[in-house]
Amino acid sequence: MISSDIFIVFISLFIVFIGLGFYGKYWRRGDLNHVHEWSLAGRKLGTTLVFFLIGADLYTAYSFVAIPSGVFAKGALYFFAIPYVMLTFAVALVVMPKLWTLAREKGYITASDFVKDRFNSKALAIMIAVTGIVAELPYIALQIVGMQSVLTVMLAGYANSQMVQEISLLIAFVILAAFTYTSGLRGATLTAIFKDILVWITVIVVIVVVPISIGGFGNAFKAANSSYVTLPENLVPAYATLILGSALALYLYPHAISGVLSAQSAQKLRKSTALLPLYGIGLAVLALMGILVYAVPDAMKFLSGFPESSRGILVVPSLILYSLPSWFSGVALLGIFIGGLVPAAIMAMAQANLLTRNIIKEIKPNLSDKSEIKITKVSSTVFKFIALGFVFSVPATYAISLQLLGGILIVQILPAVFFGLYIKMLKKTPLIVGLLVGISSGIFMIEMANSFGPLTSSLLKTTFGPIYIAVISLGINLAISFGGSIIQKKQIPKTRL
Amino acid sequence: MDMHSKTRYIVLALLILIPSFVNLGVPIYNRDLPELFGLPFFYWFQTFWLVACTGFYLTYAKIVENKS
Repeated sequence: MISSDIFIVFISLFIVFIGLGFYGKYWRRGDLNHVHEWSLAGRKLGTTLVFFLIGADLYTAYSFVAIPSGVFAKGALYFFAIPYVMLTFAVALVVMPKLWTLAREKGYITASDFVKDRFNSKALAIMIAVTGIVAELPYIALQIVGMQSVLTVMLAGYANSQMVQEISLLIAFVILAAFTYTSGLRGATLTAIFKDILVWITVIVVIVVVPISIGGFGNAFKAANSSYVTLPENLVPAYATLILGSALALYLYPHAISGVLSAQSAQKLRKSTALLPLYGIGLAVLALMGILVYAVPDAMKFLSGFPESSRGILVVPSLILYSLPSWFSGVALLGIFIGGLVPAAIMAMAQANLLTRNIIKEIKPNLSDKSEIKITKVSSTVFKFIALGFVFSVPATYAISLQLLGGILIVQILPAVFFGLYIKMLKKTPLIVGLLVGISSGIFMIEMANSFGPLTSSLLKTTFGPIYIAVISLGINLAISFGGSIIQKKQIPKTRL
Repeated sequence: MDMHSKTRYIVLALLILIPSFVNLGVPIYNRDLPELFGLPFFYWFQTFWLVACTGFYLTYAKIVENKS
């Protein structure tokens, strides 16, 4: 059982967090009855704020839970997250300023707005919006799993810990829903900064204190499996395709696009994107915790009290608890807790935008501004609770694997959104077919890779070695989108004759 | 396209392509030695490369900005 200082620090900082969330409403004031004011903070965010807001998408439960958990269980393979973030910023640096410029000119708020205008197709735009909403759900669920892992570690040994944990999560979500409802993206950005300060402090302390206390990194690698030192030769294709697939997918997620569009100018966007790989250093430290923990006997002993399938997600919080002073653990654990909460808010907001603008408004075009903002706010709340319900009903291990499925889905909008920005010859029909075939082939392959059982792998064994399914299904999608557009182009003059 | 803007275009492409090539060229860094503070090469190189990438990307951003 852990000492009460942790709870005192944790709860006090959580109160500060709530305060910041509500204060967001008054910060850089704008008329929050306009959708772009509420969901893009009036497109007024400068270099530093965009840096924090997009960085907030990086320091999520993905980095606290999924990656360290993978490194803990499988070793070097899951370090792919580091080159992945480097590559994703290269993609963003080239593509995103162009999308930003167009969006500012034509008033787009989502990728689906752009697609509708560019291809003059409601069907394609709605499909892009639906893909975005669905792909985001497991990602939000993962955030909640991350928050759960903190509570599990804090409450271990107490009576009724399961019930206390569920009630705490519910309270946290009600508070979150209340301040995103009133403050919109402004509240999320302010709390993102607070969260990142806590996380950066934690990362720096861990990387200094833990290696010293265990007598150097070398000892951790000795205590872990030998396959953790480098990547086994047969996993090289998996590593490279996980980098590529994830890097192409990140900036297609609706919340990442909202982050980009909230920038004040294309130049500021470029500068903050260029600086973002620095955020990856923290991610690297978190990933290494999956190995460091092997050299901390108390943490290993604590972890052995849990079933093997849920040990991974507890690695980071237990390492913090057993290697840092207790008051500081409170700071670090809160950082991780809100590290799930803030991104969940940003993601639910992005989903709500898509639902209102690109689905409901298509069906009911004469929606007033007032109803639009109302529906957006309410649906963002609903999405949060759908994800919460999802976590209560699905075991933690599933939620992490489903996030990989999210990547496979979202990457299928790449031909329309990224190539649509540059290539004039693309046509809507082949894009629609490509999207549908990409999604269904992706789902089929992931089912095949897991023998139609629970999702544990997102890699398909091929003659070239295991390959991330997102890359294969995107390949099929691209072939259809481009091939179909070329054929259609050749046919049009004939039919006109 | 005059000579000057052609060179500029190539430089910009290289600033994006070189880091990407290294990131995807897994065999380049998939080795254990030399170690740094007990960290295998695989781990410290990729972490260090984050800083190098930032340098490449900032230069890219700077050059694009100077045109406009």
